[in-house]
Amino acid sequence: MTEMISTYKLSKQYDGVYRVKDLNLKVYEGDIYGFLGPNGAGKSTALKMLLGLVKPTDGGVNMFGKEFGANRLFILKNTGSLIESPSYYGHLSGLENMRVMQRLLNVPNRNVDEALRIVRLESHKGKKVSQYSLGMKQRLGIAMALMGFPKLLILDEPTNGLDPAGIQEIRELIQSLPQRFGMTVLISSHLLSEIDQIATKVGIINNGELIFQNSMDALRAQSKRTVALRTQNISEAKSILQKYRFTPVHQDDYLIFEDMPDEQIATINQLLVTSGIGVTRIEERRKKLEDIFLELTGKVSSL
Amino acid sequence: MGYAALEFYKIRHKKIFLMIVFLLCIELFWAFMSGSISLSRDPDAVSWEVIITIIAQMNGLFLPILTAVIVSRICDMEHKGNTWKMLMAASVKREQIYAAKYICACSLILFVIVLQLVAIVVFCQSKSLTSPIPWELLVQTAMGTLVTSMAVIALQQWISLAVPNQAFALCLGMLGGFIGITASLFPGMVRHFFIWSYYNELSPIVMKYINSSVVYVTQGLSFPFVGGLLLFSVLLYAVGNFYICRKEV
Repeated sequence: MTEMISTYKLSKQYDGVYRVKDLNLKVYEGDIYGFLGPNGAGKSTALKMLLGLVKPTDGGVNMFGKEFGANRLFILKNTGSLIESPSYYGHLSGLENMRVMQRLLNVPNRNVDEALRIVRLESHKGKKVSQYSLGMKQRLGIAMALMGFPKLLILDEPTNGLDPAGIQEIRELIQSLPQRFGMTVLISSHLLSEIDQIATKVGIINNGELIFQNSMDALRAQSKRTVALRTQNISEAKSILQKYRFTPVHQDDYLIFEDMPDEQIATINQLLVTSGIGVTRIEERRKKLEDIFLELTGKVSSL
Repeated sequence: MGYAALEFYKIRHKKIFLMIVFLLCIELFWAFMSGSISLSRDPDAVSWEVIITIIAQMNGLFLPILTAVIVSRICDMEHKGNTWKMLMAASVKREQIYAAKYICACSLILFVIVLQLVAIVVFCQSKSLTSPIPWELLVQTAMGTLVTSMAVIALQQWISLAVPNQAFALCLGMLGGFIGITASLFPGMVRHFFIWSYYNELSPIVMKYINSSVVYVTQGLSFPFVGGLLLFSVLLYAVGNFYICRKEV
């Protein structure tokens, strides 16, 4: 598979503090790469470094197999982006904003029409952008990023400010991009649910460091099943089961077991009942992705 | 030139031309009122040189402010809409965008200068000045004003792009206007350090007091000053360009 983005030990320091540290990002052709992290984790700084908006303190960026510094114009010509809040000229209409971008990218008129159609802004294209809602501005930003139909699209929290229907539309749009236009998408978000639904690959950044990078399936595989058992006498039940070489963990009035076959669960139940301990509940539990994310990032409050 | 045209496209609906004409009308009204009063007192004493000198002095007050406003309008839209990062992430050299803005501002000031020249000619012809139109003097006046404006634009563009709050750039313009109108009161060594003093300094006509009367002497354009100011403009432009193009967004 072709590497679209590859960073090596990419770092950025502000006032002696690392905002991004030793980031080794790998995005392959056709990926929808979810770049996930709590607020302030360093996502935007990292994306800005990919686009040359911020100069790395250390490390480097390769895109399309070329070193960024020496091939900046080539790389940017093939990359569409929307970083942080959408950029726009408020005194111009949506269409005029698109025309500005069209002249910068030197693309034909049909690209403008197509991009406006994709984000469903055609009916509002004559309106001044200062009169747009936040969601419409966000759509305009996405249209501007899409206009050149680039090989790589970098979107920083693109669903900010959109209503649920808008979020769904953008999500479907992003999912369709690799197949419809052969694009590779790098999308950042602090919402795991968003990334979970659209990404094929995920990178999790926390305090500037990449703490997980793999496919979504690999992340989901971390959510191991457990079996929770509640009895009328937990401590008695635990000591009985330990005699039979079971190693449950006592947690919140439950005995927790690693995933086990049905036969073993039946055995445990039988042992406890014959010992005169009533079993009140047997539950199968699966760690949610949110729990894995929180475990990895160690953050609760920002989500 | 394509990017300069884009800058003109971007300032549409901003009513910059209307604002230019409005400020220019105030300046010319003031200047021509002053010329008319002199003419009514002593019709023989008024010549093309007097009108050109009045305009050059008025330029010292008005053009720094007008330049600050024009440059601020061209640059402020990038701050307001967060568009600087969009431009920088497009496949365009940052230096080209900076140059396009400079060319756009210079073109607008050139438009102001041309309007001034037309107004001077129309005013003097309407007052039936006997001498023929002094084209050489008018061109030299225009050149001096343009060269001075180029330095002022380079400074204003740097400040307007570096500091998002445009009140700072506009205050600098007003300070420049104050220095521009009062510069002739400063000793030569002092006023030569202020770029705004050159609106008057580069006028091809110098006003002298001889035996308590005012005499207008044609000295032509001072090429050493023009050269020096052009060099300084290049320096200001280069420093601004270096600073802005390397600034992280």
